[in-house]
Amino acid sequence: MKKMILMGAMALTVLGAKAQDFKAPLEKTFTIFDTSQALDAKVEQANKLALIAKKWDGEWVTHYYVAFAKTVLAYMEKDANKRDAYLDDADKEREDAVSILKKDNDETYVLAAMIANSRMAVDPMNRWQKYGQLFTQNLESAKELNPDNPRMYYLQGTSKLFTPKAYGGGKKIALPYFEKAEALFEKEAATPAGHDITKPHWGKNHNEMFMAQCKQEDKE
Amino acid sequence: MQLNIRLRFPRAFTIISSFLMLTALAANAQYKISGTVIDDKNRPVKGANVYLDNTLDGGTTDSLGIFRFTTSEKGNQTIVASEVSHENAGLPIVIAGDMSGIVLHMKANKVRDLDVVTITAGSFDASNDKSKTVLKPLDIVTTAGANADVVKAIEMLPGTQQTGTDNGLFVRGGDASELAILVDEMVVQNAFFSGPPGVATRSRFGAFQYQGVSFSSGGYSARYGQALSGVLELNTTDMPDKSTVNMGINMAGIYASGTKKWKNSALDFGGGYNNLTPFYGLATTNFKFYDVPVGYTGNLRYVWKPNKDGILKVSANGSYTTSGIAIPNPYRGIVDTGINTLNPFARFGTDSAIDFQTRDQYYYTNASYRQMFKSKYSLYTAASYSLDSTRNSFGANTTNPVPIDEKDQRAQFRIEGKDYFTSRLNLMVGGEVQNFSISKEFTDTLREHFSETQLAGYTELEWTPINILAIRPGLRYEHSALLNTDHIAPRISMAVKTSSYSQVSLASGIFYQNPDNLYLLAGLRPGQQEAIHYIANWQYSRNDRILRIEGYYKQYKDLVLEKNDSIFDPNTYRIITPYTVVDNSGYGHAEGLELFYRDKKTVKNLDYWISYSYIDTKRKYANYPYEATPTFIANHNLNLVAKYFVDKWQTNFSATYSFASGRPYYNPEVPLNSQTFLNDRTPDFNNLALTVAYLHSFGKWFTVFYLSIDNITNQHNIFGYRYNYDATGAAYGSPNPIVPALYRSIFLGVNMSLTQFKKDEL
Repeated sequence: MKKMILMGAMALTVLGAKAQDFKAPLEKTFTIFDTSQALDAKVEQANKLALIAKKWDGEWVTHYYVAFAKTVLAYMEKDANKRDAYLDDADKEREDAVSILKKDNDETYVLAAMIANSRMAVDPMNRWQKYGQLFTQNLESAKELNPDNPRMYYLQGTSKLFTPKAYGGGKKIALPYFEKAEALFEKEAATPAGHDITKPHWGKNHNEMFMAQCKQEDKE
Repeated sequence: MQLNIRLRFPRAFTIISSFLMLTALAANAQYKISGTVIDDKNRPVKGANVYLDNTLDGGTTDSLGIFRFTTSEKGNQTIVASEVSHENAGLPIVIAGDMSGIVLHMKANKVRDLDVVTITAGSFDASNDKSKTVLKPLDIVTTAGANADVVKAIEMLPGTQQTGTDNGLFVRGGDASELAILVDEMVVQNAFFSGPPGVATRSRFGAFQYQGVSFSSGGYSARYGQALSGVLELNTTDMPDKSTVNMGINMAGIYASGTKKWKNSALDFGGGYNNLTPFYGLATTNFKFYDVPVGYTGNLRYVWKPNKDGILKVSANGSYTTSGIAIPNPYRGIVDTGINTLNPFARFGTDSAIDFQTRDQYYYTNASYRQMFKSKYSLYTAASYSLDSTRNSFGANTTNPVPIDEKDQRAQFRIEGKDYFTSRLNLMVGGEVQNFSISKEFTDTLREHFSETQLAGYTELEWTPINILAIRPGLRYEHSALLNTDHIAPRISMAVKTSSYSQVSLASGIFYQNPDNLYLLAGLRPGQQEAIHYIANWQYSRNDRILRIEGYYKQYKDLVLEKNDSIFDPNTYRIITPYTVVDNSGYGHAEGLELFYRDKKTVKNLDYWISYSYIDTKRKYANYPYEATPTFIANHNLNLVAKYFVDKWQTNFSATYSFASGRPYYNPEVPLNSQTFLNDRTPDFNNLALTVAYLHSFGKWFTVFYLSIDNITNQHNIFGYRYNYDATGAAYGSPNPIVPALYRSIFLGVNMSLTQFKKDEL
C-alpha cells in the first residue's frame, strides 16, 4: 500500500512537471503555423496543435489554438464540404475551451466571431444573414469584456475589406479598423501578455499586411 | 472514435503511473515509424494526422498518403490517423524497433448532420438556416414578375396556377380558398389588400419581414388543418442583428422603417403612404381608375430574448386603403324580376360597367413566445387577432349605389410542446382554438353573419432511425362548433435517401375544410369537405444543382354542391341565398406531374430554374351542374426564371417567362350538357417580366435602384369570357374577354438603408 502511494505521488510529480511543459511545444508549433504560408505546412502544424490539445486536455488555450488553426484552414481550403468539416471541428474545440474556462472570455468570443465569418465565406450569398449576425453578436460580447482587444478590430477590418464596395465594404472603409487595431496591437506588444503563448495575441503581422493593402489604393 | 489511454485510469492506476514515469524518465531510444493511410477506395489520404495516442509523436501524410515520424515510446501503443473529412482510424501496435509499412484504413466521414435525409414531398422551403433548401428568402425578392410579393413569387414554383384577375394561390386543382396562409403558425384572414372583384391585389406580406417561407402543395403537417390544398407558412425574423434605418420611394408610394436594437431586445417600426397615380400613369390600364388606390400602412414590433433559448415577439400592423375603379359589371344580365328580390345588384343588370368604391381598414396583432428547456423540450405559445373592416360601394357615383359593408374578425390561440427524446426522435403535441366571424351587409334589408369556433388537437412524431430514413406520422382532431362536426385526420410522410445525392419522399393524409364562407354567410350549414392526398417525390441535388420530380393523386369528397339541376350561373360573384339548396354530394379528383430544375453552378453568377406542372383535374362542386375542369385550371404551367449578376456593374438582371395553356370557360351559346360544360378553352397565357437592380453605396447608405417591367411584350392575356344576356336569359353579341387590370406595366423605385451609423464601433 505504501508502495502504491509512493508511486502515485511520483506519478503526480511527473504529471505536474509535464503540465508546465505544454507552453514550449505550443509556442513553437503555433509560431510555425502562424508564419508559414503554404496550406500543407499549415495542415501539418495544425495536426501538431491537435496532439498538444489531446495531451494537455485540461488547458483551455491548447483547444483554443486548435480551433483557431482549423478556422484558418477552413478559409484556405477550397472544397466546401471540407471547409464546413474544419469548422465543425473548430466549433467543438472552441466549446472545449469554453467549458474548461466555465464561461467565455473575450478571446473565445473573438474566435466565435471568426468561425462565423469563416462559415459565411463558404457560401456568402446564402449565409451572410445568419453568420453575419453571429459575427456581430460575438464581437459585441467580446467588446463588453475587453474593449481593447485588437483582434476584434482586425476581424472587422478584414470583413469590411472583403465585402464588395456596393454592399458598404472596400479598402477605404476597412482602413480605420486596421489602424485602430494597429494601435491596440502596439499596446498589447508592450505588455508581458503580448509575449505569453497562454494569452492569445495573434494577428499583428496580418493586420500590418492588410493595412498596407488598404493604403495602396488611397495612393492610386 | 476516440482512443484515449486516460480512460483506463480507474482500472489500473499503478500500471499507468509506472507507464507515465517510464515515458517521462526513460526517453532515450528513437524509433522510426512509417506507413501509409488509404481510404475505403484505396486512395491515399493526404494531410492526415498520424500519431501515437496520447503522445506528441506523430506526422502528417503527404499527397501519397505516406507518413513518417520518430518516437521514443515502446511496447504496446495505439497508432491513430485523423483527418477532417474521414473518420478516425486506430491500430494497436507493439513498438520494439523501427517500424515501416503500417497501413491505416480510413472511412469517409460518417454523414454529417446536414446530410441527414429531410422530408420534401409536397413542400418547398425557403430558409437561411437549412443548408439544403431549394429557395432562399432573397430569391423571392429578386424574382422578376413577383414584384417583391411573397405570394406572387410562389406562383413561379410547381403546383400553382398563373393568376391575373384573382387573389390567392390556386394549388393543384384547388381554388384560392383551399390554401391557408400562416404567419408564425397563425392563420391569416384577408391575406390580400382589399379590392374590387376581378382585380388582383398584392398580398400584405413584404419580402423582408420573413426569415423563412415554406410552401406546401399537399401532404402537410398535422399542425395545420382547414385547407384542402396546402399551406403557405411565413416565419417572421427573430432578433434583428443591427439597428438600421431604411427608406424608399417608388412609383406606388414612399415608406420608411427603422430598427432599434438593444442587447436583448429590439423595436421595429415603419410606416408608408401609397399612391398609385404614377404607376397607373405609365401603364396601359384596362379599367378606369377614377379614384386611384391610396393607402396608409403602419407597423410596430417588439422582440425580446429573456434568455439564450427563449424569444418573445409582439407585433401590430394596421392599414387603411381606398380605391375607386370602373369594372365590367359582374352582374350584367341579371333581370330585375320577382325572383331576384334578394339580389340588390339586379338593378344594375343593364350596365356594362359599374363604379366600385373600396375603403378598407385592417388591423393585425400577433404575440408569440418560444422557449427551449435544456435543449430537450420546447414550448411555443401564440395568440393573434385580426380585424378587417371594408366599406365598399357597388355602383358608386350613381343615385342608388349598393353599400357592401363587411367585417371579418379572427382570434386564434395555439400552444405546442415538443419533446426531443434524442436528436433523432421527437414528439410534438399541440392544440389550437380559433374563432372567426364575418358580417356582411348589402342594404338595410340584407344582412348576413356567422361566427365559427374551431378546436383542434394534434400530435406528430418525427423519427430518423438511421441517417437515410425519416418518418413523420401525425394525427389531428378537429371540431367545428358551427357545423357540429368532429373529424380525425391522419397524416404521414417519409423520406429515404437512395444515394449520396438523391432521395425519395412520400406523403399522404386526409384534410378537412369548412364549406366556403359564402354558404355559411347565407345561413347554410353543410358539413366538412374532404381531400385525400398521395404524393411521391424524387429529388437529386448536387453542387448547387437540383432536380425534383413529383407526382400526386388527390381525391375530393363531400364538396359542397348547390342543387340546381342543369342550369349554370357563370357569375363567380353570384348571390347565395338561404333558399339555395346545398349538400355535400360534390366530388372530384386531381392528378399531376411536376418538375423543378435549378442550376446555380454551370455559369458563374447565373442562377436559373425551370418549373413545369401538368395537371388533370375535374370536380363537381359549387354550382357546377356536371363534373368538369374548373375555370381556374390550365393543364400546363411553365415558368423559366433566370438571374444574372454582373459584378463589374454591381447590377442584377432577372427575367421570368411564364406560360400557361388555355383555361376552361363557360360558353352559353352551346347546349348545356356533360360534354359541353366548361369545354371551351381560352388562348394560352404568356408573360415575360424583367427586373434590373443596381446596387451602390453612397457613403454609408446602401442603395438599390430597381426597374421592373411586367408583360414586356404587352400580351393581351385572357382569363375567360363574359357573355351578355337578354331579358329571357339568352346570350347575345360577342363575348367580353376577362382581362387583368393591367397589361404591360413599369415600376421604378429606390431603396436606401443605413446600418453602420454606430459611432462607437471604432
